[in-house]
Amino acid sequence: MTEAQLLIDQARVTFSGFVAVSDLTLRVAKGELRCLIGPNGAGKTTALDLICGKTRLAAGAVYFRDKPIHRLSEHAIARTGIGRKFQVPSVFRDLSVRDNLHIGRSSRPGVLSNLFSFGQGGDKAEIERLAELVGLEEELATPAAHLSHGQTQWLEIALILAQDPLLILMDEPTAGMTQQETKKTADLFCRLRGKHTLIVVEHDMGFVRDIAQTISVMHQGKLLAEGTIAEVESNQAVRDAYLGSGGIGHA
Amino acid sequence: MSGKTKTEIAICALVCLAILVVPVFLDDAFLLNKYARYLVLGMLAIALSLSWGYAGILNLGQATTFGLGSYCMAMALKLKTIPVHTGPDGLPDFMVWNNVPELPWFWKPFYSMSFGVAAGIVVPVLFAALLGWFMFRGRVTGVYAAIITLAAMVVVQLVIIDQQAYTGGFNGITDLAQFDVAGFAFDAYGSASYYLVAICLTASLFIALAVTKSKAGLIVQAIRDQEDRVRFFGYDVAFYKMFIFAVSGAIAGLAGMLYTIVMEFASPTFMGVPLSLAVVIWVAVGGRQSLVGAMVGALVVAGMQGALSESETFLDSWTLVMGLLFVLVVLFLPKGIAGALEAIGGRFERKRLATTEQPERKDVESNPRHLESLS
Repeated sequence: MTEAQLLIDQARVTFSGFVAVSDLTLRVAKGELRCLIGPNGAGKTTALDLICGKTRLAAGAVYFRDKPIHRLSEHAIARTGIGRKFQVPSVFRDLSVRDNLHIGRSSRPGVLSNLFSFGQGGDKAEIERLAELVGLEEELATPAAHLSHGQTQWLEIALILAQDPLLILMDEPTAGMTQQETKKTADLFCRLRGKHTLIVVEHDMGFVRDIAQTISVMHQGKLLAEGTIAEVESNQAVRDAYLGSGGIGHA
Repeated sequence: MSGKTKTEIAICALVCLAILVVPVFLDDAFLLNKYARYLVLGMLAIALSLSWGYAGILNLGQATTFGLGSYCMAMALKLKTIPVHTGPDGLPDFMVWNNVPELPWFWKPFYSMSFGVAAGIVVPVLFAALLGWFMFRGRVTGVYAAIITLAAMVVVQLVIIDQQAYTGGFNGITDLAQFDVAGFAFDAYGSASYYLVAICLTASLFIALAVTKSKAGLIVQAIRDQEDRVRFFGYDVAFYKMFIFAVSGAIAGLAGMLYTIVMEFASPTFMGVPLSLAVVIWVAVGGRQSLVGAMVGALVVAGMQGALSESETFLDSWTLVMGLLFVLVVLFLPKGIAGALEAIGGRFERKRLATTEQPERKDVESNPRHLESLS
């Protein structure tokens, strides 16, 4: 097994007594595309939250490129090269698409360096390239509040690409997308892997089949199984976890 | 630079120019002084627009930084005054009345005018940064931040009133010398003071405009929209908010110093709740997301306030008229006068575009090959 870029080591998260994640150990190698699936309430989103610092660990540790990051504040974690896309699209609704992408370009996050930076500077070409990539090139001047739901999803994906992090955490990227758009997203993700490490939480099994190399299945806050899609589907424990819903294909 | 930014700069320049030429046409010392006072209030509105309109921090204690600046200037000017009873090098009059034996240590540096002017900026900035540090590190937002700023102001005001021996208490610091630079004195009722205020106002407006147009300003607006999201891009949200709070404090401090020069005294009412709430009304009426709008709002509303309270018809009811105006603006113009004008301007722009584009569209329809080449 190749060396892990991200290592979650026996992580435990509790919300006022309720154990959301317990004894979760997860290794993700550099450039890997990992899908995280599991029934509702399995702790998938919490797993992403504990990587990016949104929720804090009760026990355990998170290492990114061999450095512990679980005690850093959110912005410090982001600066180590971790980007996050949230389940509910959260773009800056009052600002134009162009301004949104400009904020996404956060390689220099300090106040002073940004105080004397006017216009898009060297980011202009990159911003336009990203807008074109996600089909928003006509909407650069539109306030994000006026975009459709699908477009908002694309903008959020473009925001992550603008940030250009080493590790990308995606929470249900295809929610609310049409089949065509989902296909386009799958293509994009396949192109991203290798250059970036991706962890994708997804319910849409068709999408998972399109993109997945390794799948991790979570259930009741624990890691249940890990492997290729065929291995996971034939795993008895996984079948039991999805009991009543007719297997993971229909979850 | 986008067209919108250019228009904004042009509007700001025009407004400032109009303000700067007023003394050419007006030769009335009393009116000039009154207008200079309104301009100072306009600066205070710019300060609030920065923190409230751009960063989303409703500062109900904007007058704290204003008052601190005002007191710093008053302390320096007071030490320049030759006391009537004790002669040159004597103690300021109110200290004598309070049996203070010698000048307290923190008054001594104010013998230097440059120190006084520097303190008038630095003290408010430090106060704002410190308060901001506590609030924003602790992720206090929204109405709670507003309450803390209000409470902090009341505390500072109480301390100043309570320490009468060192601050003049309720009476404030009165009987001040004229502010002068290299021998040139600024008479509160002369055009020089008006120009001083107008130039400081112009500088503040353009500095604030530059801050909002920089990428840092953009990030601050993103924080207003989605504070939690900004963090995950690697921006230190608390530091950005603290920064904008400090810039706002600096402008308010400068305004406070000028207020002392124009009013010729400093008073605890300068950091009072009524003034702080009045600033919120001016900024809301003018448009909080427009610096120049907020400033003009202050000039218009404070001017109306002055005119109404002086007229015989509204002598008793002017506060009601002001209240009604505020309610109407909040109900019908949520983005203030500036927001309404911008919306009208946008409509004109679209109409103009629509009329110029129509003939081209006809061409496209009558020429299908043109369409093909487009796609």
